[in-house]
Amino acid sequence: MDKKLGVYICGGCSIGDSLDLDKVSEVATKEYKVEICKTHPFLCGKEGAQLIAKDIEDGVNTVVIAACSPRAQQEIFSYDSGVVLERVNLREHVVWSHTPQDENTQMLAEDYLRMGLAKAQKVFPAEPYQEAIDKTILVVGGGISGMTSAVEAAKAGYEVCLVEKSPSLGGWMSKLYKQYPKHPPYQQLEDTGIEAKIKEVEGNPRIKVFTGAEIEKTSGAPGMFDVLVKQNGNQTSLRIGSIIQATGFRPYEANNLDHLGFGKYPDVITNFQMEELAQQGKIKRPSDGKEVESVAFIQCAGQRDENHLPYCSSFCCLTSLKQALYVTEKNTDASVYILYKDIRTPAQYEDFYKRVQEEQAVFFTKGEVEGISEGGGCLTVEVEDTLLGEKIGINADLVVLAVGIVPNSMPEEAKKATAEAESSGEKCEEAAERAADSGFYASPALQLKYRQGPELPTLKYGFPDSHFICFPYETRRTGIYSTGCVRQPEDSATCIDDATGAALKAIQCVEQSSKGMAVHPRTWDQTYPDLFMQRCTQCKRCTEECPFGMYDEDEKFNPLPNPTRCRRCAICMGSCPERIISFKDYSVDIISSMLKAVEVPEEDEEKPRVIAFLCENDAYPALDVAGINRLTYNPYVRVIPVRCLGSINIVWIADALSKGIDGIIMIGCNYGDDYQCHFIKGSELANYRMEKVQETLQRLVLESERIEVWQLSISEYDKLPKIFDDFLETIERVGPNPYKDF
Amino acid sequence: MTLATPDKETMDILLELGGEKLKICYQCGTCTGVCPWNLVRDFNVRKIVHQAQLGLVDFEDEDNWTCATCGACVKRCPRGGETIDVMKAIRKVVSEMGAGKVPDSLRISIKNIASLGNPQGEAPEKRADWAQGRDVKTFTPQTEWLYFPCCISAYDAKVKRMALATADILGKLGMDFGILGEKEKCCGESVRKAGGEETFQSLANTNIQTFTESGVKKVLVSSPHCYHTFKNEYPELGAEFEVVHTTQLWAQLLEEKKLNFSREVKKKVVYHDPCYLGRHNDIYDEPRRVLEAIPGVELIEFEDSKQNAICCGGGGGRIWMDTPKGERLCDWRLEQAIELGADVLAVACPYCMLNFDDSVLTLGKEDTIEIKDVSELVLEAI
Repeated sequence: MDKKLGVYICGGCSIGDSLDLDKVSEVATKEYKVEICKTHPFLCGKEGAQLIAKDIEDGVNTVVIAACSPRAQQEIFSYDSGVVLERVNLREHVVWSHTPQDENTQMLAEDYLRMGLAKAQKVFPAEPYQEAIDKTILVVGGGISGMTSAVEAAKAGYEVCLVEKSPSLGGWMSKLYKQYPKHPPYQQLEDTGIEAKIKEVEGNPRIKVFTGAEIEKTSGAPGMFDVLVKQNGNQTSLRIGSIIQATGFRPYEANNLDHLGFGKYPDVITNFQMEELAQQGKIKRPSDGKEVESVAFIQCAGQRDENHLPYCSSFCCLTSLKQALYVTEKNTDASVYILYKDIRTPAQYEDFYKRVQEEQAVFFTKGEVEGISEGGGCLTVEVEDTLLGEKIGINADLVVLAVGIVPNSMPEEAKKATAEAESSGEKCEEAAERAADSGFYASPALQLKYRQGPELPTLKYGFPDSHFICFPYETRRTGIYSTGCVRQPEDSATCIDDATGAALKAIQCVEQSSKGMAVHPRTWDQTYPDLFMQRCTQCKRCTEECPFGMYDEDEKFNPLPNPTRCRRCAICMGSCPERIISFKDYSVDIISSMLKAVEVPEEDEEKPRVIAFLCENDAYPALDVAGINRLTYNPYVRVIPVRCLGSINIVWIADALSKGIDGIIMIGCNYGDDYQCHFIKGSELANYRMEKVQETLQRLVLESERIEVWQLSISEYDKLPKIFDDFLETIERVGPNPYKDF
Repeated sequence: MTLATPDKETMDILLELGGEKLKICYQCGTCTGVCPWNLVRDFNVRKIVHQAQLGLVDFEDEDNWTCATCGACVKRCPRGGETIDVMKAIRKVVSEMGAGKVPDSLRISIKNIASLGNPQGEAPEKRADWAQGRDVKTFTPQTEWLYFPCCISAYDAKVKRMALATADILGKLGMDFGILGEKEKCCGESVRKAGGEETFQSLANTNIQTFTESGVKKVLVSSPHCYHTFKNEYPELGAEFEVVHTTQLWAQLLEEKKLNFSREVKKKVVYHDPCYLGRHNDIYDEPRRVLEAIPGVELIEFEDSKQNAICCGGGGGRIWMDTPKGERLCDWRLEQAIELGADVLAVACPYCMLNFDDSVLTLGKEDTIEIKDVSELVLEAI
């Protein structure tokens, strides 16, 4: 493709008043010899837009718009996929945040145009990856979540395969006597309705149900998964577009709760066992079959306890409230005692809590259970009551432990962490502790044939890693969505919402994949990594570091990309020491060219230059917001947006420093336990890699202070000016880059 | 060690005696947090409510009598709990079922009320003595207004200035009013809050009967406590008369231009909201409108005013009980008024006046601040 550039400089929003636009134009016309360079006072107006459209009609295929932030006016400045568009941010990053009519502001604007032009010259239109995409959705798990996902996807017109391990559908819901109210006014217990849901699934011609079945193997990628299902000794091969993992939970092992008398006294049972008792008519205690007259519920039996489950299981308070009504409805003379740490009944369930409180025979008290003993024909629960300031004893025929849930994804062993720890001679537990993700892969469900591991990576409590702040359904395997209690502890109403959401995500995946577009979060992106394999050294950095397991590997350790698994974060591009991984609009070379386009003043001019690599997801928009709020900062910073901090290739640091740039600052998203990195690991990886850059600096005899890595969330825009100004102070203290005048 | 175990029977009794809303408390502790007593002493409202929920009430505990029923907790309870009803139920168990001991001074006051119709133990025939020397007639069926002074404003040597000011204003305006004198009995509001339900019922029935027989249609009261029970509790027992608090009447007459001020009262005045006028009956604006209309008055506000006003400590039967020095809310409130630089602490309730008069005396603040009923200030300005 022959490049035909058109440069359009906007004078609106005070750009024209603050800058000498003629001189800015000269960058394009004189330095870069661009033939078409137009200035317009109001580029996003009808006339301005037509000006550009006309030139495109006349053959311009690369449009450089120097105006507002690329995040603004996207609808007006959008063109056919054959046209390359580059936006130069003169508004938020230049005139709104720097002194107008100032030499340094002018230099900043001119540099940004140079950088934009350098990039535009090397960007080519995306050629989407398009293969035959199958849109069938596989749901693994036939409980309320799995069945809901299946029904919702089928209703939207998609073929669904539902695989359930046990001989019948229904999951835990089918074991309940009743469910707590799910509808206004939240007063009466309801039937679970699970039978109707099972019928709905079984009666839907789009849903193919495999019960008593397990997945033996899953290979391939979104839109083209090959799944082998084993059922009654037979194997069925399925072509699948995307997968919903709804493999549910198991109750916490009550045998670990001997301090609460479980296993010691037959009349101490779990909330799950209480459902079975309630289904048998009158509630009779297991020891002697006496109809119970008093029941004590112990909340948080193991939950929110560092020695058992550190988290809240979310449904157990409501379950005990419900079971309290089982007791009082079946025996009007019975008393119920609910012993809790905190009653947690979110949202409208508060009304149900209130309704049970009003039940005359139900007593509530906050306290810590100290112990449980037997005597006088009943059990006595000793409660250190934090509100009365004295201990109280509760006599009960039956004690129900409100146990919580463990996701079925809970890994059985620390595969990844163990391997890493063994090779480094470290203790396994420490390795698991250190990793932000647990370092564990989920227990068998999908049997993935991925180079990185056989199941979804999990977080520290065994739930599949998902971007719980921004994108909760997304696991770290594109096209595989976890939902229901395997994703997080939730009650059936939340499961139903959750499973509907997961179905939508699964649909989004197959639709995006069929258009050759990234599924998430760069949903517009049609580029994908292109590997120049002749130079690959099989170092395995890309296959190891991709947070999404995009690369498989052949027997010679060559990376084998699966583009539909790719999120287009370019972390692999950042990892590659041979710099062989590129995207059509984002490559090591493109960014290097931008770096080289920056004019570095001579040392005696005392105008230092700093490159700021800003994450496009948070830091870059945050700097826009700083501009919108007219926050000012020094004009020596040159911003380069990056897809993710993890995509920064170390060679850029070397390129910048050898050109005479005085310092480099990188601002990405928060990482660690509460990570906000859109690509989960990118920001963390960048930080880790930059530690290694110290060596490079030493080799160049440069100070380590010249490089800083920051974490920033979008709401912290007001911190940016200080970060930049402080960094410039540091640079001034360290002095100019000695390579400047080479 | 034997452990206390929840007592369903006790809880059922408390529920039956009026603590229906007892169950919905979820122990957030807001009540304790907003209870004014905690400005001067510890008083754990939540604990008492929770003890009641579990039937573990210590009926001998003196704190069963501490609540002044000011309603601050009721206003703030996120669950719509009726703390006062719970306190009332506990007191009923003590006083009517003999589960514990009623504090002596309270017991005597209630006994006096039951036998003589007033807590002070004064002779009923002396009830109209406050009006001696004034042209105050006895109510007849033709009289428009019945003025019903509280027992305190009728008998207390100092607080009767409240009744006198009211009568004088009515007289100056030429309004048609009368009193029932010895036929009047204590309204019973505080008796009821103190657990004396039977006594209350008897007082209310007697008063209703007297009023009906006398042909009373409109009652003017000086006490928010009388106002509260006449307006909100008597109708359930068959009362059919209109009840107006003095501050309401003055505000209305001002608006109708029937009350006009001709003299200046150059005073910095802070108004203390009585709990039973404010929080219990949402009357906040009328007294302020009256005070603001008085020429020369500079009306200032407490930091905690209107819904957040701090109780004087006199409600719920507390007016008949001793509060140790250092734990008196009225002292605390008076200091607050003095800090604001007020010349006058304006009140609209005989209990408040009795308490604050006492505070002025015991704290030796006679030269610093005056306690005046809103009516007194009105009278000065006419």
